[in-house]
This record gives sequence, C-alpha cells and structure tokens, in this order.
Amino acid sequence: MSEESTALPWPVIVDAGSGTPADLMARVARGDSAAFAQLYDQMAPRVYGLIRRVLRNPAQSEEVTQDVMVEIWRTATRYDADRGSPTSWILTMAHRRAIDRVRSEQSSTDREQAVAAASSTTEYDEVAETVTTNLEVEQVRHCLGSLTELQRESVTLAYYGGYSYREVAELLDAKLATIKARMRDGLIRLRDCLGVTGR
Amino acid sequence: MTTPEVHALTGPYVLNALPEDERIGFEEHLADCQSCSAEVSELREAANKLGTAVAAPPPPALKARVMAEIATTRQLPPLLREQAAEPEPLRRKGFSRRSFFGLAAAGLAVAGAGGIAIDQYRENSQTRHQNEQLAALLAESDAQTVRGNLKSGGQATVVMSPAKDTAIVLLHDLPKLPDDKTYQLWLEDKGRTMHSVGVTTHDGSKVIRGGIVGKVALGLTIENKPGATEPNLSTASVIPMV
Repeated sequence: MSEESTALPWPVIVDAGSGTPADLMARVARGDSAAFAQLYDQMAPRVYGLIRRVLRNPAQSEEVTQDVMVEIWRTATRYDADRGSPTSWILTMAHRRAIDRVRSEQSSTDREQAVAAASSTTEYDEVAETVTTNLEVEQVRHCLGSLTELQRESVTLAYYGGYSYREVAELLDAKLATIKARMRDGLIRLRDCLGVTGR
Repeated sequence: MTTPEVHALTGPYVLNALPEDERIGFEEHLADCQSCSAEVSELREAANKLGTAVAAPPPPALKARVMAEIATTRQLPPLLREQAAEPEPLRRKGFSRRSFFGLAAAGLAVAGAGGIAIDQYRENSQTRHQNEQLAALLAESDAQTVRGNLKSGGQATVVMSPAKDTAIVLLHDLPKLPDDKTYQLWLEDKGRTMHSVGVTTHDGSKVIRGGIVGKVALGLTIENKPGATEPNLSTASVIPMV
C-alpha cells in the first residue's frame, strides 16, 4: 500500500474522511459526536455481525447493538489504550453483551436453545460460507482450520454459540477439564497462527 | 483449585464461557497474576478476530437511532490518574476526633471482617448487574441512602436496607493512591467497635451482605497495603448511617 502511494502524484487517504479507531476514540472521549459517527461506521458492522452470530434473532441483535454502541459513547472516557486496542475493547464489550443476553434468556427460551444446539454442528461450515475476499476473514478461516476438531468446536461453540464451558462439555460429551484446556490451547494456536499480540 | 487449573481458565474466560461465580473468582486471580493477564490480553485479540470474521452490515436505520440516543446520553467522567491525585498527607494536626463520628480512639475496639461478604466490581460489563442490585435494594420499603464527601477526595454513597441486612457502598472520584496504600472501609457499631468491610484502590461499588443492622456509620481510611486491623484515624472520613 505504501509503495503504491509514493508513486502517486496525489496524497492517498486511507479510510477517507476518518481517523484510526485510536484517534477516533480519543475524540469521542472528549464528547465529539462527529468522531463517534465515524467510529460507528467502522465498528458497527463488526459489532452487529458478532451479536447477530450469537443471538441469531435480528430484532434482538439490533437492540443489543444499539446498547453496545451507546455504551461505547458513554464509557469512551474510561477506555484505557494500555489495556488493548479500541477494536478489541469494543468487540469484547459486544461479545459480553451478547452472552449476557443469552444467559439471561436461557431459562425462558428452551425452544430457541434447542434450535441453536441443533445448528451448532454447522458452526465451522457457516464461518467458511461467510468468507469474502477480505484477507483478514480468509486468514481466520485458514487458522480455524489449523485447530484440532475438538479445539475448534470448543472455541466456536463458546464464542459463536454462546455456550458456557459446561454446556460445551455436555454437547461434545467431554470432561470439563478437557474442554477448558482445549479452549485455551485452541485460542493459543489461533493466536500463533494469526500472529496477534496483546497490549 | 491448583495453579494449572486456574491458568487453563484463561481460555473459557476470554470466550465468556465461565459461569458468573467462576468468572468473578478468576478476575480476582487475574488482578494478582501478571502472566495470566498478559495471556488474557493476547487470547482476547485472537478471539476478537473470530468476531471480525463474521462482520455484517447493520440495518441502516440503526445509526440514526444510536446517534439520537447518544445526543441525550451523558458520558462518564474519566478516571483520575496519578497526576491529578496527590497523595493525602497524614495530617495529624488537622485531625479532629469529632470528624470520626465522635469515636473515642482510646476506647476503640476493632473487629475483623469475619462473616461479612464483599463483592468488588471492576468491569463495565458488571454495571448492569450492579444497577439491578441497587434497584432491588432501593425497592425495599425501608431503603435509605446517605452520602458524603470524603476527606481524602471523592464521595461515598451508602444505600442500605436493614430489613435485608444489606448495604451497597458506591465510591466515586477517589484519588489514586501511591502503590503501597489502599483505601479501607469500616462499619462502626453502637459500641464504637470498628468492623473492617474490605479494601479498595479505586472507584466502584461494594455489596455488604449481613452485619448492617445496628451499624451507625461508614468510615473510610487510607492504610498501608494490604489493609489494617485498626483504622488510621488521621485519614478517616465518616458518613453517619443513622
């Protein structure tokens, strides 16, 4: 990208009209709603996509997405760059909210739970189906493929399926300690494959 | 729980796959385990890539609704960092015994924290849970709220229900302390015995279940870590609860 830009006679603007998430977060923390609108454009598809993947119900997903986006605005002042990237902070919040919703409705929606369980075996395939030309998505698909079957199912049933490790153990007919360990070593393998670093 | 077992919880924790009680337990462990928190940070970035991989466009109308809601939503004040928080000097000269609710230091007996449960909430994700607890407590017919400014800076609010024998202490805008100091909360009973109800170094809420009936004041002191068995009266702020 940078090689191309030096060859061009005009300045190349990355993400036209917007800053990096880190710049935007700093402005949002100072109450800049225009910066928030840009942050929304960058982040809302990831927030909505993730929540929708977990909850499946479009109306609920929209509602939780709205909650999360407003919470980002409200707590931007407390965001600490030392504890992770804005993207990570936002997606962590989105996932937690989605899981909170799953847990709080668990007892009252046995039917939906059964539906989610029935479709859980296709988690990995559905990820594959969503693949676009996006390199990052391609990389995630590739790296999920490098996990063992049990690692991949443990990780995706928890992350996309919204199941607790006990529920995952039940679904996979495995010991609790095994599932906890597979979730960890699965994520470690994913981390190493993706080459991500923490703070 | 053995160490390897605790360590293996980084995976389920990052995937939000721990039940509430285990999550709280692990977060307490996390606060004292640097290698765990480094691992959590890395694994979280990896897990979030799974989130990014399923991005999908939200309904277009959602943006307008979000923008309308933020227009009427106040942002939280930032947490104060060290530069804004000068350590509270120990002001022996300025100390007034009256300020500690007429507590006679000479006759002071001190009780341990035994039997009093403390929940400490650190994460944003807990805010709603905390609000629900507050709402439930406020809904009690005998609920009372008292509030006061703290001598060392910041404010404390106590919401309590003697019928439920429960109180929630909310601490706001506490100045950051030097690394070797901690805030300590106390409840004073009618016999002037001070009961420690826990320590904290930052803003947040504490739920105190049990031991509320018969208490007359909340005290907050600054102590050396990990906390003291007797309150350091020169740093004490007190909020009468009756």
